[in-house]
Amino acid sequence: MDSAIVEYVARRQVVLDQLRHIIISALHVDRPPEQLDPDTALFGSGLGLDSIDAVELVVAMDMEFGVQLGNDIFGRAEMRTLNGLADLVLRASASAPVAGSAT
Amino acid sequence: MSVNATLAGDAALGLRTSVIVTRADHMQLLRFRGSDARRVLERLCAGAIRARDGQVQHVLLLDMHAHPFADAFLLADDDVYDLLYEGPTAVAMQAHVAEHVPHDWDVATEDLTATHGVIGVDGPFAWELVSRIAGAESVGLPYLTFFHVESFQCIRAGKTGEYGYLFVGPRQQLNDLVTRLQAAGQSLDLVTGSLQVLDDAALESGFFNIRGEGRAALTPIELQLQWRVLFDGDGVGVETLRRHRATGVTARVTTLVAAEQVLIGDEVWLDEQRVGTVLNVVWSVVRGDWILLALLDRGCAVPGIDRFRVRTTAGAVGARSVSPPVLNNASMFISPQMHSFATRGEIRLPPLVRR
Repeated sequence: MDSAIVEYVARRQVVLDQLRHIIISALHVDRPPEQLDPDTALFGSGLGLDSIDAVELVVAMDMEFGVQLGNDIFGRAEMRTLNGLADLVLRASASAPVAGSAT
Repeated sequence: MSVNATLAGDAALGLRTSVIVTRADHMQLLRFRGSDARRVLERLCAGAIRARDGQVQHVLLLDMHAHPFADAFLLADDDVYDLLYEGPTAVAMQAHVAEHVPHDWDVATEDLTATHGVIGVDGPFAWELVSRIAGAESVGLPYLTFFHVESFQCIRAGKTGEYGYLFVGPRQQLNDLVTRLQAAGQSLDLVTGSLQVLDDAALESGFFNIRGEGRAALTPIELQLQWRVLFDGDGVGVETLRRHRATGVTARVTTLVAAEQVLIGDEVWLDEQRVGTVLNVVWSVVRGDWILLALLDRGCAVPGIDRFRVRTTAGAVGARSVSPPVLNNASMFISPQMHSFATRGEIRLPPLVRR
């Protein structure tokens, strides 16, 4: 793999680790970070987060990353998994993926 | 295009825009009764059992190699537990239970597959159709709960990313239920579904499919199913899984999209390095491209890379890794309290396809 991909994957991993920390510390999910798979559903089945958690998540995303989700209902789709949230963060920070859009 | 393909296309679109009704003959039912029933299920399932009366839990059963054995919904219904599962045959499930449950535990099992069947109702307006059969009470039914209506359990659950319901009841009443659903669903543009449509939808929306990637001899760690495992529990296969985890897992399933056809088993390459294998693939009628699930080396098993090449017998096909779901499920934006199929044109929805 060339260095651009390696760098992108590393950058994404840092964001994922931060998101896992939010899920565990702010939303009180009782799992070690390595057991939070990036494509696991956050709500409903999966980690079982609820609408209250969603509000907490919106606040945490704003505070941690400056990403604002609250006013756009279409942001809901991105909130379904850690990978979706990571896509949002990377886009917001203008850290474009290696090529093409993340989704 | 064949008639069957056209019908499948209609059903795939119907699932995403209106409602489909499917005979879920791939699902089987095993009932557990007795003072040790919960203990038995904690032994059989990989995760902790949390379902209380009236609740449904999505559970995973592993074999001794820590590979998926059955994908199931567990219903806690008064003094019994019903395991509504897919994967093994009823005979294989009975043998699995007999092998792993001590004979002196107080539990009786009853295979209801011969006498009971399942009808699935899925789509962004599935709730509207179900309410016409099961009454207004069903509209407020929380996800992963159920209630009794006539001779059926009406379960709010699905694996398509849309509103989903399962009617479980006596086989001799299934035809009548389907007839009533079809009559009530005419004004909702109801379409008849199929297992293929449900399986395609599962991959589009990021749901595990035991008939697809579930047959690849992988563990929940590679399959991103760790949320269904209690790692310090003693469920069947969990000890094996702990040992597997300790060795270090180097690959993970990842979703990709491709414009041209690829096949299960094709190799995935990134630049000049072989990085994985295609485990499952479907043609997405709604998107108009191929959706792949590939087992990739962890170093590149992330969304957002568009330089993958899948080596097929017809040549190399470009592929891009993405975050599932690959569609904007309309159900996320439709509220039974605010919307209806009749006024669907007024609902603000994002584009169906996520690019």
